[in-house]
Amino acid sequence: MSLSRRLLPILLRPRGSPTRALSTAAASAAPAAAEEEAVTIKGVRISGRPLYMDMQATTPVDPRVLDAMLPFYLSRYGNPHSRTHLYGWESDAAVEEARARVASLVGADPREIFFTSGATECNNIAVKGMMRFYRDRRRHVVTTQTEHKCVLDSCRYLQQEGFEVTYLPVRSDGLVDVAQLADAIRPDTGLVSVMAVNNEIGVVQPLEEIGRICREKGVPFHTDAAQALGKIPIDVNQMGIGLMSLSAHKIYGPKGVGALYLRRRPRIRVEPQMSGGGQERGIRSGTVPTPLVVGFGAACEIAAKEMDYDHRRASMLQQRLLDGIRGQVDDIVINGSMEHRYPGNLNLSFAYVEGESLLMGLKEVAVSSGSACTSASLEPSYVLRALGVEEDMAHTSIRFGIGRFTTEEEVDRAIELTVHQVKKLRDMSPLYEMAKAGIDLKSIQPMSGIG
Amino acid sequence: MAAAAAAAPTRAEVLSLFRSLLRTGRQFSDYNIREYTRRRAADAFRENRALGDAPAAAAFADGKKQLEVAKRQAVVYSLYAPKAKSIMEMKLQ
Repeated sequence: MSLSRRLLPILLRPRGSPTRALSTAAASAAPAAAEEEAVTIKGVRISGRPLYMDMQATTPVDPRVLDAMLPFYLSRYGNPHSRTHLYGWESDAAVEEARARVASLVGADPREIFFTSGATECNNIAVKGMMRFYRDRRRHVVTTQTEHKCVLDSCRYLQQEGFEVTYLPVRSDGLVDVAQLADAIRPDTGLVSVMAVNNEIGVVQPLEEIGRICREKGVPFHTDAAQALGKIPIDVNQMGIGLMSLSAHKIYGPKGVGALYLRRRPRIRVEPQMSGGGQERGIRSGTVPTPLVVGFGAACEIAAKEMDYDHRRASMLQQRLLDGIRGQVDDIVINGSMEHRYPGNLNLSFAYVEGESLLMGLKEVAVSSGSACTSASLEPSYVLRALGVEEDMAHTSIRFGIGRFTTEEEVDRAIELTVHQVKKLRDMSPLYEMAKAGIDLKSIQPMSGIG
Repeated sequence: MAAAAAAAPTRAEVLSLFRSLLRTGRQFSDYNIREYTRRRAADAFRENRALGDAPAAAAFADGKKQLEVAKRQAVVYSLYAPKAKSIMEMKLQ
């Protein structure tokens, strides 16, 4: 009864405004028309859409990319594998043009580029597919502890199948020790997998050196370049890369598409994951999604043109952000090397502050404590732990991502909100008070578990 | 490119293109895209101020293409603009 009474006014609304009756945001904002509209999502009320600084999770689609994609969602809907009519031909031409654009951004041959659903699929094909193909002679993989979850999980899977995996530690600046990597390579090593730019701390691994070592030892080098593509210059020949995973949605392209680079000379073979129609030379069966691939190609073309400009801006904004926060708050640690770093990433730890509280208080800034994949868990980031960051500091990390569309005003607002929140939390923190009074927190036994 | 063979644009043509880009950019409903269009156009025109004839013609042709993209996308963005604005467009509390 009561339900029908509540529903009745909604059902009796004039037919002209169905969305207004159903939208809680509009309904709650309607009485206070003069007031600014608020967003209520998951029980959190925010005065507007937060400023976006989570560019490592994903990037907004560039309008130029969307402009290239839209025709393929409208009249040019052909299957690129249809060989008997114009619809197929025009889609096929568009896919091949996109392939050439992706290839040219990394100095590859278009025939070495295979479209997939994203970097996770690429990493799976590269790590599992490669090892399975050469399983008789090659039984060992070398990778690092700070790789993305999908590489680590693929390695874990290989271990269950009887392969051996060496997880190299990283130095406190996040970089892999190249000499240690060389020592870890055995005669039966089938793959070295080291990511180009880390998703959490943004450090750039010495790809060229690793590539040289791998070439000398005759081991294929795989790199996960999802966070590096279009942001730092990549040349597969100069860097001795044998396999490479790429993603579109990290470079202002659409979600759901990526590309795997597989070297032709010397040829690298992988066992495909999916059986099917044999598209993408049998490496990845399934209809190639023309609109997404076209968007990826457009994103790569723009990235090639804009890399210098975007890089200059990211460096400038990163410095502005760091100076702004450091100038007003003490006891901050930058996680990861500063000189070997992509400037669009700034990962900071704030001492004496609880990370979850900080993120909760920063509702108007869309940031993350680490990777989006693990942002649901309360565990501290395994990447920061691999760097040797103490548990309490790993808990208070925030990753600021700066991208093509980030403005100076957004950075200034982020500084203001972060500083305000950190100061507020520290004012309430007995640990901060004690630390300021000169008491060594590590010397206090009962307090050591609190952080 | 065929565009490179074209004659260099006059000062009036360049200024007109620049103004059109700025005007179209202002029509984007998205705060970040609006700011980017303005900033990128201004920086590109500043950078290209001293270009020779052939590269100037190519840059001009590219700019005209960008203007067409911006005109179309400003419409697309306006069709799907979210109800709530970016907090950057609101007054400070």
